[in-house]
Order: sequence, then structure tokens, then C-alpha cells
Amino acid sequence: MAAKDTSNKTGKTGLIFFPAFDWAISPTHPEREERLLYTRDQIFEEGLMDLPEIEEYKPRLATPKDISRVHFCVPNVEAQVTEAHLIAAGSVLTLADAKEEGAIRNGFALVRPPGHHSMMVVHGNRGFCNINNMAIMVEYFRTRYGHKKIAIVDTDVHHGDGTQDIFWHDPDVLFISFHQDGRTLYPGSGFPNEMGGPQALGRTLNIPLPPGTTDEGIHYVLDNFILPVLKDFKPDLVLNSAGQDNHYTDPLANMRFSANGYARLNEKLAPDLCVLEGGYAIETALPYVNTGIIQAMAGLDYSHVREPDYVPGKFVQSAEMKRDIEATIGQLQEIWDNRDRLVEDALAEHGQFYRRRKRIFYDTDMINEGQEETVRLCDRCHGYMTIASQAQKGYGILNSAFCVSLPRNACTSCREDAREEFEEHKEDSKFNYVYLQDKQKDTYHSYETRTRNQRDY
Amino acid sequence: MLIGIDVGGTTTDAVLVEGGRVFRSAYVPTDHDNLLGCLLSALDKLTEGVSPYKIERVVLSTTLITNMIAEGKTDPVALVLIPGPGANPKDYHLGQDVFILDGAIDYRGREIQKLNESQVKSTALELGNIGFKKIAVVGKFGQRNHVHELKAGEIVASVVPGVQVELGHRVSGQLNFPRRAATTRLTVATKDRYREFADQINAALKNRKISAPVFILKADGGTLPLDKSVNMPVETIFSGPAASIMGVMALMPTTQTSVVVDIGGTTTDLALILSGKPLLSSKGARVNSLLTHVRAFAVKSVAIGGDSAVSVNGDCIAVGPHREGPALCMGGPCPTPTDALRVLGMSDIGDAAAAEKAMADIAKRLCCTPKEVAQKVIDAVVDKIVSHVNEMFREWEQEPAYRVWEIVKKEKLLAQNVVGVGGAAQPLVPLVAQMLGAKAVIPEYAPVANAIGAAVARPTLTLNLRIDTERGEYIVAEEGLTGRADRKNMNLEQAEQMARKLMNERANKMGIGEYANEAEVTYSEIFNMVRGWSTVGRLLDVRMEIPAGIIPAWGRC
Ligand SMILES: [Zn+2]
Ligand SMILES: [Zn+2]
Repeated sequence: MAAKDTSNKTGKTGLIFFPAFDWAISPTHPEREERLLYTRDQIFEEGLMDLPEIEEYKPRLATPKDISRVHFCVPNVEAQVTEAHLIAAGSVLTLADAKEEGAIRNGFALVRPPGHHSMMVVHGNRGFCNINNMAIMVEYFRTRYGHKKIAIVDTDVHHGDGTQDIFWHDPDVLFISFHQDGRTLYPGSGFPNEMGGPQALGRTLNIPLPPGTTDEGIHYVLDNFILPVLKDFKPDLVLNSAGQDNHYTDPLANMRFSANGYARLNEKLAPDLCVLEGGYAIETALPYVNTGIIQAMAGLDYSHVREPDYVPGKFVQSAEMKRDIEATIGQLQEIWDNRDRLVEDALAEHGQFYRRRKRIFYDTDMINEGQEETVRLCDRCHGYMTIASQAQKGYGILNSAFCVSLPRNACTSCREDAREEFEEHKEDSKFNYVYLQDKQKDTYHSYETRTRNQRDY
Repeated sequence: MLIGIDVGGTTTDAVLVEGGRVFRSAYVPTDHDNLLGCLLSALDKLTEGVSPYKIERVVLSTTLITNMIAEGKTDPVALVLIPGPGANPKDYHLGQDVFILDGAIDYRGREIQKLNESQVKSTALELGNIGFKKIAVVGKFGQRNHVHELKAGEIVASVVPGVQVELGHRVSGQLNFPRRAATTRLTVATKDRYREFADQINAALKNRKISAPVFILKADGGTLPLDKSVNMPVETIFSGPAASIMGVMALMPTTQTSVVVDIGGTTTDLALILSGKPLLSSKGARVNSLLTHVRAFAVKSVAIGGDSAVSVNGDCIAVGPHREGPALCMGGPCPTPTDALRVLGMSDIGDAAAAEKAMADIAKRLCCTPKEVAQKVIDAVVDKIVSHVNEMFREWEQEPAYRVWEIVKKEKLLAQNVVGVGGAAQPLVPLVAQMLGAKAVIPEYAPVANAIGAAVARPTLTLNLRIDTERGEYIVAEEGLTGRADRKNMNLEQAEQMARKLMNERANKMGIGEYANEAEVTYSEIFNMVRGWSTVGRLLDVRMEIPAGIIPAWGRC
């Protein structure tokens, strides 16, 4: 990337391996202790941590404040995260610091549990995720180091709907996700017409791919769309939500991507940092895919990484699939080329406020959430946002929350109005909890209406 | 009576101990070209007038292998790798004479690509034609399944007459293929020379009518019977620092956290004893540029000592890292910390006037007094040592961990004692201790702590047991042992019992059966293997070790 930071002193690849060998969602859940066991065996046996190109780091624990910079955890951070989540999130922050200090050229947080299905408001676990490690890293980079423009490329087979939700209205974060078509896979979203809020149209780019897409198809998307778009956008940082479930052996999806394809993708994308998301072919894919990604990031030869049953040319892309993918890319190219006009038109169409209603399903915890989201379309800043959220479990109401978020560049008027919304809703018995996320001052407040207890981070 | 002889870089120290006391000590200068000679002359000095029948145990350390490796005098070895999929073997930087074979074993020990026997044969012929007499055969995941290593080794041995073959799985059962490859190669490269040395020692002791068991000291502070150690010569590297640390363990047994400081002429060796246990380097020793699987204490060598050259750089005083000769007060060519100590009245070694002059020359250039210069020199030395000690603690704290509880619960340790050993620059120890907020300790017999450590160190031994109940197999790589494991739901307790039984057998085979009860489980893990939504088996790994310790005959601990 043109804007890539080249100030690092070592050229090393930072690696945090945190397999959470003592943590599982449940004993037989795909997100269980065993998930990274064979990956551990492979990368330790390869001696990757000993290579001069690689520096292994120990993770720290993320703080409730790091998490509150992104999420409204209902009722509070402690209720939504375990120590394993704090370590996974802390891992990405440890690598972010190493990157900024120039100790590493790039880095890979090979950690679990994953995060890309976690949205801004968190009532429970969805898609194996509680908190969004990637988003926590992005907000940390911006608050701590003042980065403005950041690009996230989500290479997991599932649509990164959580990350999309978090940066939906943010024109400075480019979110690109390619994934198996939502009509055939969880979470059922991620279509090209999901392209961001009125002020950020075209900064969310969704590339649904047909089941069975091969290395050839994914690299076509990369070469002909993702890389040129990144070149246009000129981000300070490129981050990869590196799921590994596009692999041809993944039990939860139907794609035909190989370990070599993944390694080559990371070589071309050259992300500053990678964060592991999903990937559940724990024996047949993960040991090889992870080895390949680490090697590609470290500039090592990955051509010897090959799944035992893989032969080049194992999968051939059909002409129909090729046409299908090219058509999707054509459609997205149009969105990208017209992004500024799309924003202009949208702002002209909407008044002072933009509202949308959302229904969110938490598959792991069986929670249904209804949201009403309101953003002020402010011409002096990105505008403050409120979310009224109500979560149901079974037939009972689980929790209700009113959340106020202030952008980093908030203007005085947005600041005052947001503050007012927060204070007003503290008296509103409709909500159990009221939150104010002040990214400008980097302070975070939560209020429980029943006890009138306020907590500040 | 127990004998300990530690061959160091400059002197060879020997002690005769009995009932927790040093009965006699002796030292001779080390002659690196004649290690046997200097070991024996130290022994003879020590045992003069002592009946050989009173000697119950002899422990030696040797720098033979360390020196062979450092001087590049090891025998030429062809390294034959069976790497399978993964890294390009070139990225391991294993040096010259690396040959690659087809065939692959995966992380579960399953064969995923057959060994190509005709390729093994042709490679063996090529090696024979080149003239290799020593060959190391190492396969990736060979410790999980050694059929390829065995078969390849067998073919090589049958094709190349008189060849010596070493197989990777016998050297280490742990993960890390490049380290296993390097260690296996070093093992076969030093075996002949080491065996010769061991034979000479045995003969010399026999000559002297000493029939007590003879042990060799290893890098992990443990001992092994000399005749068993011939299969693992590389483990004798770095036994010098190990001897000193074991000396401290013997002289001041404690469960506290201590820093062991051994200040020599040009280097200072630092080691940590954490809550009474010496810290091992996390993955294995680094020998020159080679990373190995050899268990060794984590020792940091800092290039500073009593003879480090003091120089002036602008307004600053720099100490070390090089040495130009002895201290000025000892007739050397340039000012050193030893001179500074003399000027400050902290030692009475050497000529006071010469030391004074050494400091005065610098003082003139910096417009201060000789005493101020001396103080600055000592401050610089102490600062450097302290910063390296802090770095060691930091590195220990930053060692990666892979479980939630390990990350959350890891305590922060601070030095409670700074223990000085070795002859030189003892006056610096209290200064280092003060800066670390710890107690300075110079144990009784500190100058010969290393030889005492050798004399009283007990054997150490490791065993790695891996059980895969889905495949119905267990394997103890170092023993080349495999068997059936039919209980699908075997638990960790049962696995540990099995490991203990195997450890007993291994210890007996090594001639150290009486220490088998000291074995501890130092690592164990169990994973349920879930396929679909049901449990199909378990993976269990148990590492059992007889850790470094002191034999009861020392009578102090
Ligand atoms: Zn996924
Ligand atoms: Zn505004």
C-alpha cells in the first residue's frame, strides 16, 4: 500500500499464539479447547517461533475501557466477557503496540475466541463471538496512535456482520468482506446493497461468492477489486480478519480455498496485522493454513505447505462460477466508483436524522434483539448516534438499553445533544441501562436505572 | 567421600566433600588441549594420601564438547531430513550437507506420504561415495511416529559400510524439528571423541584403584553415569554455569528467589533461582548459532568482569566489553574494575600504587579525583549487571503461555538474594544486591561452589509420554518405545501413572533407579477429540522429569 508505514526497525513478524487450551463454549462446540491443538503441534514442530524473521509475544489482558471504546456490553463488560476474551483482545493490542513502536513489520494474532460477529451492542454470544477483537484494535489504533483511515479486509467464509455493524456509519474505516453467499450460510447477510450508512456509503463493501469458489475465484476478487480499492482508499493500516473457513475441508461451509491460496492472499494483501477469526477444520486445514499465513507474512517460502490430499488443479472453477463472480465484482466496482455521489444523494434525501430498525439474533445464546438506531447527519462532524435496544430470551425480556455514541470528531452541538440524550434517558424507566460512549474524550459511562448506579471508565 | 571436579574456562576446581563440609580443595590451570591431563592432575592433587576405597562418588564436568563445537572440530555429518509439508528446510539454516527425503508423518503420527525406499538407497549410496561416516536421520514428527526414521536408518546402515547412524526421535521427544535436527547432528558428530574421553577417564580411575561410580555433569545441573552419557554427549555442554548454580543450591538451600552472580575476568554469568528452583531456558540451549533441545539452565553471560578494559569516551567512562590483559595493579596494560576496587579500598588484590595511577590518568582527563573515577567505573559495572538481571526477570515474565490461567495467574517475582560465587570481584555483590533491593550473600566456600555443585548434584532424567486413544497408541520417543493404548476414556491420572511406571524402567536402564521416586510431572495435557458432536478419543501428553537436586549424602539440605 502506498501509505504503508515503513519505519519499523526489525522487519520482523510479530506472532501471538493464544490457543486458550482451557476454554470452550461447551465441550463439543466447534469453539473448544482442541481447536488450535494441531496448529500448535505444526507451528511448534516447524520451529517457526525460533526463526529470526519471527518474534513471539505474550498477550496482555484488555481492559474494560478498551472494550467500551467499541461495545455497549449489557449489562456490563464483566458480564459479557471471560478472561479468555480479555486475553484474545489483549493480544491484538499487544501487537498494535509492537507495530507502532517499530518492533515489528507486521503481526498475526493467532488467538481464540474470535470476534467478527460481535456487533456494537452486546447482549450475548453470536456466531461464537462475544467481543470484536478486530474492532477493539481499530479503535485502539485511532485513540492511542491517532490513525485516521483504516481498512479491514474480512477473509472469513462468513460475513463479518459484527464488524460491519460497528463501522457502518464511519467513512474513515473501509470494511471489505468476501464470504460465501448469505443465502447459503450463516449469518445470512453480506450482500452488495449493504454498503454503509448515509455518510459512509461505499465504505462497506460486501462480496458474496458462490459456494464452491476456488483459489482462482478468490484471487480474481483480490487482484481485480480488493487490491485496487485499497490503493484508492490509501489507508494508514490494512488489517485482515483472517478466518480460515473458506478452506475446502471446513465442516461449517462449502468453499474450496487451499492453504496455498490463503498464504498467497496474505502475501498480496500484505496486511499490517492479521487476527484469526473462524476456521473449524482443525486437523485438515488449520495446521497448514496457519503455517502458510505465518510464512507469507514473514516473507518465508510457503510453497512447501500443502494439505496431505491436495494436488495443484484439484479444483477447477466452472465457467458459470466465473461469470457469477465477475458480475458481482462489476456491481461492486460501480458502488466504489460512485461512492461520493452516493453519499451526496443520501444526505440530500435524508433530513437531519437517519433512522433504521434492526433485528439481531444471537444464535449461540438464543437471544432476539430489536434495535432502533438514530444518527444525526451533522455537517460539522460524523454525528452522534443513539441505539435503543431490547433483548428477549424465550418469552421474557432480557434487558433493555439506551446507548449514546459520540464520534472522535464530535462538534460542540453534537456533544451537547448527546450528553442531553444520556441524562434524559437515565430517568427513562423503559431502559434498564443507559450508556454514553465518548470517543472524543475517551471516557465511557454506564448507568443502571434501577439502582441509579453510574460507572465510568 | 564425594569428589567434584569442574573444568572451567581458566581453572579446573576440585573438592573432596564429606558430611556437608569441604574436606580438601585443589585447583589447576585448565589446559584445553589436554582436558584429561588437567582433570587427572586435579584429581591427584585432591586425593593425595586419601585411600581410594573411601571415595564413594566422582562427578566430573567437561568442556570437551563445548570446545569441539566452538572450534568447529566436530566430525563431519550428513543430515538427512524427512521434512514433509511445511517450511522449506532451507529456512532452518541447518548448514551444509543437508539431504532431503520424500515421505511425511503428520502431527498425529499418521503416515501421510510413504517413504521412498529407492530414493533412500540412492541417497545413501551418494553419502557413501562422498565419504560420510556419520549420518543423522531426522523426520518431522518423527517423535510421534518413528517408522520412517527407523526404516531410512536401516537402509543407510546397510548401504554404507561402517556408518554410524543417529535417529532424531531418540534425541528428543519434544516438538521442534529444526532443534531436533541440530541436536541429533551434534550428537553423532561428538560421540566418538566423547567415548574416547570417557574410556580414558575410566582407565585412569581404574589405574588409581578408584572404583566409585563416576558421573558426568550436564547443562541442566543433573548428573548421569559416565558410561550412559556416551549416548548423549551434547548434554555435557555448559556444565560450568550449571556447576555453580548447583553449588548455590547445595550451600544455601532455600525456597526463596535468588540471582546467582559469577563475576569472572571478562564475563559475568547470571542465573536465576525462582522460589528455590533454578530457571531452565525455555526451549533448550543455544550452542553458538545452533538452537538445540538440550535442557540447560537459563544463564546469561554478560561481557563485563574484573579485567574489562576501562576507556574514556568524551566525558563518559566505558567499561568493557573487551579485555586487554590483567588489571594494571596486576601488571597489566590498561585500567580495569579490579584497579577501581583497589583504589576504593574494596579489595586488597594487586599493587595499590599502580591502581591509583590507573585511575589518576583518567581523572586528569575528566577533571576529577581518582576516587571519583573509581566510583564511576564500579557504578558502570554494577549498572550493567543490574540491568541484565532485570532483563532476565522481564524475559521470564514475558515467556509466552497458552492457557488462560497461566496468563492470569503468573506472579511477579523479585530477587530476594544476590548470591556471589566464583573467585573474582566479590566486593561487587553487595552493590548489585543493594540496587536490586535484595540481600547479598557470599556463601561459605564460594570460590569452589562450582566443584561442590558437581560433587553433590543428583541425576536428572526426562521422559515424554504421548497417548492417542483414538489411534489406540502410546509412544515414548526417547526410548523408541511404542505400544497399544486401548482405553478410549483414559484420564490424566492414569496417564501419569503410566508415565511413572515407564520412568522407573527408564531410570533403571540409566543406572539411576534409586532416584526414580524423585520424578515429577512437569507438564501434562489432555484433549478430548470431538468429531461431529461426539468424543472419539483423547490425546494425552505427560512429561516427567527427575529435576535438578542435591544428593542426600551431602547431608546439608
Ligand atoms: Zn467464519
Ligand atoms: Zn456534529
